[in-house]
Amino acid sequence: MLSRLADSMYWMSRYLERAGETARLMEINLLYLVEAEEDMSEEDKWRPILRITSSEDRYREQYEDGGISTPRVVQFISAGRTNGSSIRTCLRLFRENARVARDRISKEMWEAVNEIWMMFDDRLKGQLNAERACALFVALRNQVARFNGLTASTMMRGEAYSFYQLGGTFERADMTARTLDVKYHIILPDLSMVGSALDYYQWAALLKSLSGFEAFRRNYHSGFMPADVAEFVVLNAAFPRSIVFSVAHMGVALKNIGLKDKEATRAAFAEISEMVGLTSQQIFDAGVHEYLEKLLTRLSLFHVALVEDFFQ
Amino acid sequence: MYNPVTQASKPRAPYHEFYADDFTPRDHYRLLWDHIKATGNSALEAKAHESQLALQAEGVTFTVYGESEEGIERIWPFDLIPRIITAAEWVKIESGLKQRVRALNHFLGDLYGEQRIIKDGVIPPELIYQGRDFRREIVGIVPPRGIYTHISGIDIIRDEKGEFLILEDNLRTPSGVSYMIENRVIERRIMPEFFDKYKVRRVAHYPSLLLAALRSLSPRGKDNAEIVLLTPGIYNSAYFEHTFLAKEMGIELAEGRDMVTINDIVYLKTTTGLQRVDVIYRRVDDDFLDPLVFRSDSSLGIAGVINAWRAGNVAIVNAPGSGIADDKAVYPYVPDIIRYYLGQEPILNNVPTYQMTNVQDREYVFDNMERMVIKAVSESGGYGMLMGPSSTAALRKEFVDLVMENPRNYIAQPVVYLSRHTCYIDGELEARHLDLRPFTIYGEDIEVVPGGLTRVALRKGSLVVNSSQGGGSKDTWVLAE
Repeated sequence: MLSRLADSMYWMSRYLERAGETARLMEINLLYLVEAEEDMSEEDKWRPILRITSSEDRYREQYEDGGISTPRVVQFISAGRTNGSSIRTCLRLFRENARVARDRISKEMWEAVNEIWMMFDDRLKGQLNAERACALFVALRNQVARFNGLTASTMMRGEAYSFYQLGGTFERADMTARTLDVKYHIILPDLSMVGSALDYYQWAALLKSLSGFEAFRRNYHSGFMPADVAEFVVLNAAFPRSIVFSVAHMGVALKNIGLKDKEATRAAFAEISEMVGLTSQQIFDAGVHEYLEKLLTRLSLFHVALVEDFFQ
Repeated sequence: MYNPVTQASKPRAPYHEFYADDFTPRDHYRLLWDHIKATGNSALEAKAHESQLALQAEGVTFTVYGESEEGIERIWPFDLIPRIITAAEWVKIESGLKQRVRALNHFLGDLYGEQRIIKDGVIPPELIYQGRDFRREIVGIVPPRGIYTHISGIDIIRDEKGEFLILEDNLRTPSGVSYMIENRVIERRIMPEFFDKYKVRRVAHYPSLLLAALRSLSPRGKDNAEIVLLTPGIYNSAYFEHTFLAKEMGIELAEGRDMVTINDIVYLKTTTGLQRVDVIYRRVDDDFLDPLVFRSDSSLGIAGVINAWRAGNVAIVNAPGSGIADDKAVYPYVPDIIRYYLGQEPILNNVPTYQMTNVQDREYVFDNMERMVIKAVSESGGYGMLMGPSSTAALRKEFVDLVMENPRNYIAQPVVYLSRHTCYIDGELEARHLDLRPFTIYGEDIEVVPGGLTRVALRKGSLVVNSSQGGGSKDTWVLAE
């Protein structure tokens, strides 16, 4: 298929996944704020979100005094002027890439793309209080789920589909690694808090933002041990948002695309695969933060290799 | 030789397509009229709303430039009430268009070949050589089977007497065909009961006709044809149409940057390497087609594609250089072009046009300036134009001087009031002006799809039907009997 179209399929899927993941993060954080009795500033509650979405610098471009408040962050993440990864921008680029690849996606998908855009464009730009924002993010999450279902049931399983799959699973691996890294760092230093209510809510929020709370509870019965959470999120092959699961599905997509004569991509993917082949003990010995940073670097190198091998 | 028009008709009321007079519909509209009356206003309102939603969900849009850097994407405006053309009327339109397209293709082949028509004194040489769209670079190249305009979208209007006249020949990259088909899809879905009462001819097979025509041009044979639609990209006003046609035909939708020319062969850049291209259905103007031959600052085209075309390794549709045949200055000569190549009288007439080089014509125009449109042939988009009815005496004087200074640079036409049709607008049935663009494909033979894009000037009293300026559209029915 056309290199440019492959690129569009890949990005279309990445942007949708990013919009959905960001909405989920926001939703969980907003819910968490509702009953935050503990002594935590609004700034502390929102900084992790800005960090996960790598948008602290752009936030400061929009709000020069740097002050962090709920209405500001909601606006910034939803449709911030300087935020190139705002949910609205992700949806716009999702639609733009869908337009480019219009002849490769099904009619049902294309109509859903338009519906999503019409449903959220104005609402994301508008003034949102916490409650309305939360409802909006839930609605978006549902639309993303619906779109994924439509894709699974109507899109031809060809090269375009494989690039679409690759983009979505890549973005998910990337977002999961970021979320775990940032949250893990906020939660972890408070060792004195282990077993406290605050500890419970924070770990629960992390797992819920990855849709993994219930599954985690079923698998681990000794409360929220940081090592258990990290192991679950990185290495549990049955958990659809784990890193190992995403990487395995990237592998399926790559196999279908075919890596003959694509040495750069093959090598870059081997580097990533190697990292999800480690045991949890090996990860802790290396340090979870160091491990995730290395993984994020390898993911971005993989993207560079893809561009070189397929999209140029 | 060119025949001057010696008698202009007296102004009268515009022709009404729907009504014969104030109270009675024309015969072929009677069933529709009865049905609309029986349907009632609130049901019509609901249907109008439904059609808007359907167009929105399907993303049937066009882009208006200028308001932001990306352009504004608008929903295609659609009017519920269909426009009906009788079988007898269609016979005339169809045969007239076939005749015109055939003659214009002979004309193009001659201009880029022997130029007999110039040598025989039918067309003045300066008319061609001064034309911006005459491409010297391609003189001597014969395109496959001598066809230049595989696709034509010739605009037809109806004068005050109801006669169909040719308003303009669009032979470059005419657009609108996707809207013709979408209008039918919507009309059928929203107003299925209308169709019970009439035998309406189908239009949705246009893409398959076009695909067959494109395949027949492949240098490697029609069973081995890699065909692409070359689009300027997603911000182009007709991008919706480009995706529509690519999808309907199952061909690749590509931009210039997706292709590369090596040793006079054009290739697509794909994920598995380079892939040879046989036919390019381009929706990019000549100027931007090949930076090596035409505008060197263009990034929309494919460097080297003209050489590949010259070498016979790729077909380009419509052929480069076709634009000279729809040049405004050539338009008044088309009836002579038809007589010259085909030895026939034109079936469809031009809007009467006065040549300012002709003394009799000129005197007549000067005596009747309030009823004339005077146009500079080298300008477009309403520039360098005098609209007689709304002009001042001073402006008319100015135009007399301009014409006398360079008569060759001007043509004049009596103001023609486009025919009107009933439309459903903001809850009311009202009359609006409209025109018609049928689509002609020149493949193995010439075919006109029975229908076309009817464009409506939605603003009351307006004669401007362009979608970028408040124009709308209607489903267009050609009756089978």
